[in-house]
Parts: sequence; C-alpha cells; structure tokens
Amino acid sequence: MKNIVLDVQDLSVHYRINKKVIRAVEDVSFKVEEGDFVGIVGESGSGKSTLAHTIIRLLPTNAMVVSGRIELLGYDVLSLGEEDMRKIRWKEFSMVFQKSLNALSPVHKVGNQLADAMKAHNPNLTEEEIIDRLKQLLRMVNLPERVLKAYPHQLSGGMMQRIMIALALLNHPKFIIFDEATTALDVVTQGQIIEEIKSLVKSLSLTGLVISHDLGVVSELCDEIVVMYAGRLVEHGTTEQILQQPLHPYTQGLVRSLPDFAQEKKKLSGIPGNLPDLSQPVHQCVFAPRCPIATEECFKTVPSTEEIDGRRVACLKVGARI
Amino acid sequence: MDVLFAKYLFRRILSAVLLIVLVITINFFIIHLAPGDPATIMTGLENPSPQIIEALKRKYNLDKPLLVQYFKYMTNLLKGDLGFSYVYDQPSWKLIGPRVFPTLSITVTASVLAFTLGTYLAVLASRLRKKFGDLIFSLISYVLYAMPSFWLGLILILVFASKLRWFPTSGMFDMRASYEGFRKVLDYLHHLFLPVFTLLLIQLPVFYRVTRASIVQNLREDYVTVLSAVGLPNDKLFKKYVMKNSIIPAVTIFGITLGFSITGAALIEIVFAWPGMGRLLLDAVFRRDYQLLLSIYFLMAVFISVAMIVTDIVIAVLDPRVRLL
Repeated sequence: MKNIVLDVQDLSVHYRINKKVIRAVEDVSFKVEEGDFVGIVGESGSGKSTLAHTIIRLLPTNAMVVSGRIELLGYDVLSLGEEDMRKIRWKEFSMVFQKSLNALSPVHKVGNQLADAMKAHNPNLTEEEIIDRLKQLLRMVNLPERVLKAYPHQLSGGMMQRIMIALALLNHPKFIIFDEATTALDVVTQGQIIEEIKSLVKSLSLTGLVISHDLGVVSELCDEIVVMYAGRLVEHGTTEQILQQPLHPYTQGLVRSLPDFAQEKKKLSGIPGNLPDLSQPVHQCVFAPRCPIATEECFKTVPSTEEIDGRRVACLKVGARI
Repeated sequence: MDVLFAKYLFRRILSAVLLIVLVITINFFIIHLAPGDPATIMTGLENPSPQIIEALKRKYNLDKPLLVQYFKYMTNLLKGDLGFSYVYDQPSWKLIGPRVFPTLSITVTASVLAFTLGTYLAVLASRLRKKFGDLIFSLISYVLYAMPSFWLGLILILVFASKLRWFPTSGMFDMRASYEGFRKVLDYLHHLFLPVFTLLLIQLPVFYRVTRASIVQNLREDYVTVLSAVGLPNDKLFKKYVMKNSIIPAVTIFGITLGFSITGAALIEIVFAWPGMGRLLLDAVFRRDYQLLLSIYFLMAVFISVAMIVTDIVIAVLDPRVRLL
C-alpha cells in the first residue's frame, strides 16, 4: 500500500457574492497516493479550480470552507496559520497557474523575479547558487538561459507556461497542482508541454493534481480521474475505467464529446443544458435536469457516492447504459 | 537592447523637432487669422491716421506678404532671434528672459512637490488599508480637485496673509526693504510660499488619485497573486513590484505638467501679482503682440517637447514594453 499524500474529506467551499451563497464545492472526498497524478475534470463552474485553490489555501476572501478536512503531506492544511502556510507553500507543494501570461510583473526581468521567489524560501543562498539553480530549472523545461534577462512580454505563451512550470519546481516540491496549465496554448505547444510535464513528473517522482476541462489533457497525464459537476464529485476511477467504461451519465457525455481518431466517422455530441443555479440548495441529483436517463426518483433523492469495483460514482442509476 | 533604446531615442528627438516646426508654422498663420490689427493698437489712438498706420506697418514689415513674413521669422529664429515685441518696443527675449525663473520657480516647485507628496500619500493610503482614512483622503482630494485655483489663492491670501500675517499678500520681493544676498533669497522664498502652496493643493489630488487607482488596479493583477503565493514577503512584493508598476501613470502626468510649466499659471500669477510668464502671455494676447506671442509659443513648444522626451526616456527605463513602440 502506497502512502497517501493528499486526503480530501467531505470538503465544502462556499462563496458569498452579493448576499448570495454560491455552493462551489459540496462534499468532495478523494485521496491521492504517492507518485500518482489525479485529474480533476469538469466544465467551467464545476468547482475544480476552487478545489485546487482550497488545497493550497489561495482562496479569495469571500470564500469560506464550510466543512471538511484536507491533509496534504502530513499537514492539516485548513487549520494552519497564514504564516505557517506561507512557509510551506511553494516549498513542499506548489502550483502552475492558469493565467501564465500575466503571472509575472511586466516591468521586471524574468530572472530577477524567479530569483526573488527563490530567496523567499532560501534566504541563505548566494547569488551564484541561485543563478545555477535557475539555469538548471530552465534546462529542465527546455528554455534557453537568455530568458532570465528577458521581460515577460518578450516571451511567447509557451515560453511563459514553461517559466511557470520552472517557478513551480523552484524549491523541489513533492506535490504539484497543474491548474489548466495548457489551456491557453495552441494545440502543438500544448502537446509539447504535456510531453515535457510527463517526463518531468516521472524523473522528479512528483505527486499531484491536474485541473482541466479537457478530458484529453487529463487522460494523457493522470493515473486517476475525478469528474466534478456543479461542485460535486460525480465519478472517480482510474483513467482507463473513466475513458473505457464511464458509469455516470455525465461522464458518459464527456467521453462522447471527445473526438476518437481510431474509429470511423462518429458524430460528436455535447451535453444539452447548463449548470444549475449554485446559489440554491439542491435536494435532488444535481445532474438530473440534464440527464438523459433521469427518472422521478432522481428528482427526489440526493445520490450518495457508492463504491463499485474500486471506483466511486454518485448516481442512482449506476451502471445503466444508454 | 541598447541599440533598440538608441533607435527609440533618435525617433523621439526627430519627431520632437518636426513637432516644434509644425507648432511654429501653425501658430504663425493662426495668429494672423485672428481679428484685430496690431498697427492700429500700437498707435494707441481711437482713430489713427492712415499715414501713421502705414509707417508702422512698414517699420515692422507688416506690409509684406504673409509668406515673406513667415520666412523672415523662421530665418530669424534659426539665428537665435526670437522676435521683436512692437508693443513694448523691445526684443521678445528681453521680456521673456527675466520671467523664466520666477515662473519655473512656482510651477516646477509645485509640480515636483505635488508628484512626490501625491504618490506618497497614495502609497500610504493603500498601505494603511483603513477604509475610513481612505475615504477622508478621497473626499479631500475631490474637493481640492474641484476648487478653482484663483479662488483658493484668494482664500489663502485672506487667511495666511491678511489675517495671520504669516506671508506677504503679493509680489516677489518686499519693495520697502532692499535685501541683499542670503536675506534676499529668504525674502524670495517667503513670497514664493503661498503661490506654490496654492498650485500644490490644486495639483496634488491629480497625482494622488491616479496613483491610488493604479495601486488598487495593480494589487488585483495576477502577478501579485502569483508572487504572493510563491512566498514573497508582502513588504518586498509591494515595494519592489507593485510600486514600480503603479508609478508609471503618475510619471506620465508629471511629464505633461512639467511641459506646460513654462507658460506659468496665469490665474495664480494674477492673484499673487507674480511677474511670471502667464501674465505676459495674457497681456500679449490682449494687445495683439504677435511677435511676443509667437516667441512664448515657440518657447512653450520647445519646453514641452523636451519635457516629453525626458518623460518618455524615464518611462522607457521603468517600463520595457514601451521601448518596442
């Protein structure tokens, strides 16, 4: 049995916006074992980014963790003080942010900012040691050394994304979260960066999460996949299980919307409808209004997460095929 | 990068020279389009005889075609001759020269103080993060911003000069005492205080508001979130990153303010009876003193161009993105 690096239990996170309470994450539980990568998939507003930001405690001030517990690398994340958190964040674990283009100050050189980030956790390093480490990092992410002397606007989107990966790897973290790390890139660069991330993760034996709306990206990088819908975990299984034999109707819809190059022409289909209003408490299956197989029962009962064959799914019609 | 910077600088200087030539040309022709005849005004008579007007026009080359006058003016400028005021019967420079220092000592001092104090207060307000203090600052800055400069000047004279008698009401020197040396400098500063203070109060809110808004906006930028998450101490994040990003708009405004400082602050100069450029300019307009007006406008164009080049260089140093433009 491998060590458990991340353990999220019954996590609920709400936002308060204009006196309304938005239930962004509701009762989500999952574990990540050492050396594994788990993908969190869902459409915009499904709560996947909120989940990621809660784990490294970077929530905006109007967010509140209503219930739950997060244990990351042995730390009880939610009960740590702000100062203690600052000390371990980016040292023990880090994140590759979604918006890499504006992620650094436009009027300071890239190298200067990376060096400052390094000094924040290693005040005793000499300038030379810092430069050496930065050069080593750049080699890891396939960037030339000259980018250290460049300003952010002089670099391409792919280069900035690589910088963000280098920034995340700065202090040899054990756990890393990729939050839509390749979303803003063109397909070719996206493919290259995914390959690079794959080999980096393997060579550094990292554990982590990949947050994306793109099932394709997640399935490339992850061993397991958590599917979220409207703040809830709807299905959790190995990548193979999710792709080959999705159980939840929502996951089935997601998989069907992936293009399949091996097979002959097949019509891609979307999932009709929109996310429900997250400010209203729900006493039914959240997916029922969009579900093709929903019955009366689905509009009356909240499905619990059942464990079947080593995977988990929250659906009253488990296993039902369409 | 250095080649790029040199190219950028060269382009800026070239465009400034072109701009100055354009300004002189347009001014020259526009002024001659204005109604009113300088020769008639010069005679000082209600119904001057045609002979006098004829003689005056000949004396000052006003009888020549406009284009001839224009080329004569341009060649004279190149020789360093700013022109000749027919109203004062003196070379323009003789009138402008003595007013440059008094004018700049008010406007530049006020602008420098407004820039430093305004940005400092903005930083202070955003660091305190006290909603109440911020509200008070903003309210005061609104009131000051909306206040007419001459009215504020008058009120300050009323309070600090007439009632409290801390400062003189007007003028540049005490006429009754003829101080020399250091004592004279002190007397000058004593007279300088109220006009500078008035102008400072008028300009301060602009710098305060712009910097304040810029800081607020910068604090919401992604780089702040990222660098803070990375573990950079808040203090360093603010002083090194947020400050440098936030000060750029204020520097631009400072440059523009500095550019216009040569024309003086006419209203304030009138209120404080300060012998500056603003009053000279207004008088020249009323008396149709074409040559003097053109001289002042020429000086203004040069001054603004130089100020803008310097501002652009400072901003290019602060913000690498503008070097590419």
